[in-house]
Amino acid sequence: MSERTDCSEALLRLYEYLDGEMSPEDCLRIRAHLDECGPCLKEYDLDTTMKALIKRACSREPAPESLRTTIMSRISMTVIRIERQR
Amino acid sequence: MVTCLSRPPSLARPATSHPGGLGWMVMTDHSHDKQPGPAMPVGLIETEETRAAQARADATVDVAKETDEERRARFEREAMPLLDQLYSAALRTTRNASDAEDLVQETYAKAYGAFHQYRPGTNLKAWMYRILTNTYINSYRKKQRQPLESDAAEVEDYQLHRAESHTSSGLRSAEAEALDHLPDSDVKRALEQIPEDFRLAVYFADVEGYSYKEIAEIMDTPIGTVMSRLHRGRRQLRELLSEYAAERGFVASGAKGAE
Repeated sequence: MSERTDCSEALLRLYEYLDGEMSPEDCLRIRAHLDECGPCLKEYDLDTTMKALIKRACSREPAPESLRTTIMSRISMTVIRIERQR
Repeated sequence: MVTCLSRPPSLARPATSHPGGLGWMVMTDHSHDKQPGPAMPVGLIETEETRAAQARADATVDVAKETDEERRARFEREAMPLLDQLYSAALRTTRNASDAEDLVQETYAKAYGAFHQYRPGTNLKAWMYRILTNTYINSYRKKQRQPLESDAAEVEDYQLHRAESHTSSGLRSAEAEALDHLPDSDVKRALEQIPEDFRLAVYFADVEGYSYKEIAEIMDTPIGTVMSRLHRGRRQLRELLSEYAAERGFVASGAKGAE
């Protein structure tokens, strides 16, 4: 934790930091680096923006009602077939 | 014979491989993600408590003692509320509504056929995403003839990119702002342009918020591969989106003045 983090390490692991995939110790190191390195912080801002943008753009789209009906009737048919088989 | 519901070979694995196999069965339960099901007629509206009680019962059911009808009802209660999410993922995966519907239908048919192998109380949505991903890769990919980008040597590739990408940092803040103004349609268009393995990894990480481990299990690939797909996918997305932003005139004008 006391080791200094250089830009190349910070940049390499920025996604892990962004995605919450880092140990608390590593998070602190990256965070300390971002606090003092403007260019890395900008990079991180951009990554954060992208992640939020993708989530926003892919918000849930309702499935067509006909699809729901088809799936439900296929499932019911299967039960009937299994029962007839017995 | 039940002809319409053949069990996908890949799904035989979770049941046979545990304990100690993929760790699939011990995945985190995301039951709080569940959305309410379709609207019910007045008088049949379930209260939160009855629904919660039912969910608890479904999570601890003894699959071996269940009748077909009970299993069908449980599948309906647990899997049907995931329909919109699976459909949305299928739309992003197949890139058109008709294929998305087919893919979701096939996913549900396979999931239902293999539902006795799903361990109650574990992460059903991730389990179904895995079926969807497998189904897509095994049938639709061939049909759509998507180029597959090789995973080979990609680690070095993305590491190199990251190491160099920092030198030209002058315009970043303005760039972030420009990207943020892009319409959703541009983001979807960019997603459609990148190879599907990258697209799926990005979708699962950013839209569904899955961990690398969960994505690895869904995509049946090592975590290192997930990480490199994310790196490469995000890098390509960023390049595309920067292009779109430039085309819309978002970047060039504001950027220099802002810095």
